[in-house]
Amino acid sequence: MVLNQLLASLTDGLLLGFVYGLAAMGLSLIWGVMCVINLAHGSVIALGMFGTYLLFSQTAWNPYLALLAVAVVGFLTGTAIYGAAVHRVINAPHLSSLLATFAVNMIFIGLGTAIFTTSPRNLDYSLGSLQIGAVIFPVTRLIAAMAAILLTVALYLFLFFSRPGKAIRAVANNRTAAELMGIPTSLVLASSFGLGTMLAAVAGGLIATFFPFTILSGGPYELKSFVICVLGGLGNPLGALLGGLLLGGLEGLIPTFMPVSWVPTVEFVLFVLVLVLRPTGLLGAR
Amino acid sequence: MTRRGETKPVTDSPVRENREQDTDNRLHPWLAVSDLTTGYADVQILWGVSLTLEKGKLTTLLGSNGVGKTTLLRAVMGLLRPWAGRVTFLGRDLTRNSPHSRAKLGMVLVPEGRQLFTEMTVLENLELGAFSKRAHAHYRENLEKVFAMFPRLAERRHQKVSSLSGGEQQMLAVSRGLMAQPKILLIDELSLGLSPIMALNLFESLTRLKEAGLTMLLVEQNVAMALAVSDYAYVLAHGKIWLHGDPRQLLKNDDIRQTYLGL
Ligand SMILES: Nc1ncnc2c1ncn2[C@@H]1O[C@H](COP(=O)(O)OP(=O)(O)O)[C@@H](O)[C@H]1O
Ligand SMILES: [Mg+2]
Repeated sequence: MVLNQLLASLTDGLLLGFVYGLAAMGLSLIWGVMCVINLAHGSVIALGMFGTYLLFSQTAWNPYLALLAVAVVGFLTGTAIYGAAVHRVINAPHLSSLLATFAVNMIFIGLGTAIFTTSPRNLDYSLGSLQIGAVIFPVTRLIAAMAAILLTVALYLFLFFSRPGKAIRAVANNRTAAELMGIPTSLVLASSFGLGTMLAAVAGGLIATFFPFTILSGGPYELKSFVICVLGGLGNPLGALLGGLLLGGLEGLIPTFMPVSWVPTVEFVLFVLVLVLRPTGLLGAR
Repeated sequence: MTRRGETKPVTDSPVRENREQDTDNRLHPWLAVSDLTTGYADVQILWGVSLTLEKGKLTTLLGSNGVGKTTLLRAVMGLLRPWAGRVTFLGRDLTRNSPHSRAKLGMVLVPEGRQLFTEMTVLENLELGAFSKRAHAHYRENLEKVFAMFPRLAERRHQKVSSLSGGEQQMLAVSRGLMAQPKILLIDELSLGLSPIMALNLFESLTRLKEAGLTMLLVEQNVAMALAVSDYAYVLAHGKIWLHGDPRQLLKNDDIRQTYLGL
């Protein structure tokens, strides 16, 4: 019986871990390509939740169709954020880009609070449940996990095997050399920011299919994304996914041994330990 | 040999289709730098530099350490904004163009310190050299040429750059430049930090590239070797072109022999 309980908690955590990984991938991509820590990450996740919610509740779109729209809008929003706030400080010291993205974050949260207030919303949508062994799960959570895997593989193939993907990695590796080889680096940076923002928004949309949320709900995911970036290293989507799974697994298991409130403590102790002992991430991508 | 006075701005007529067949190089240099002035923040490094590169010729730029050779190449590529002066390539004024648009047009720099994509493989570096559409169309043939010239790179094509020796990395830097299908190739410090044999090897490759018709500008510490292979030479001193002319003539100049050859 205890084993079943443990297994259920672990599976629960892992399923969530996939989505954590997806959310972190957006942060990791931007961080890895342009050394910018996007402090608007959390609010973009929340906007993804609201985008999916609004399309579902106002126009009765299927949430997964809504996610496609959220992806497109997320990409465009990301390029706009890059153009408006990030490009001008891309070569400045890190503090400038931190402040710039923090400002974007405050604008999004301010607008979101004004428009949606901070009372929780939820998508009234269900695809029923599925029983795996002794464990029962809402199908929406399984779909979210599968979508996360699919997007990770797609991003990996894109970055490592397509021409534009290689251009992104080249810009990440040596921006001057990339420019000298005829790669329009500003365009690549803007698109990478768009892609990172898109991933965060889609992760938010997926989360909205099974958890209630407010405009502030992105915050905790942003923090988890930092931990995951450090666990998984930058520059490789698979690292982010594994980091997400590790974190999700821990989150599933910890509450069976100690009070839930210990979760963040354990997570951040792990964060500090990895930073100190293996600053390139557990996978050592860099 | 001439002492360089004021250089007349070179023709800025639009590119003509038959430009590549032009035989009168003096009227239509492939690259013309006129009265270029630039520096860093408020430190001026170049005080009106003018030079021209002619089709199919290997030109060398000499000058002591820290005089501004790299600065000049960076300004020519657009990595550094000129304060005044112009850069004309194939008759087009590119002074305000971005580096990547210059690269697309065939102006390619093999930068000082190689600047390879160190996290990527040899082959990926070469692929990225051929990023522009124009270069991509010649990808296969250029890859074969480069591998024929440097068989070591062919053997190591799937290795990460960080596992290559210094000489191999320099081969890769030159090869990546060649993959870009250059109309002119600017090379900053070809042999810096290489063994004499490796340096000789690379100089031989340059001679072969010249024979194949490539236009090049070479910045090089090894003055004797550079002058031996080049068709024309410029000497940069105190932020200006101090001397220029036929390399054999320059070698007879006592100042040159003392300052750059230590004779
Ligand atoms: N990024 C920079 N900022 C400020 N000064 C620089 C910079 N790069 C080079 N310099 C200065 O410009 C001068 C010319 O440098 P450089 O062009 O690298 O010389 P060279 O290539 O001929 O050895 C040197 O005095 C150097 O100290
Ligand atoms: Mg130099």
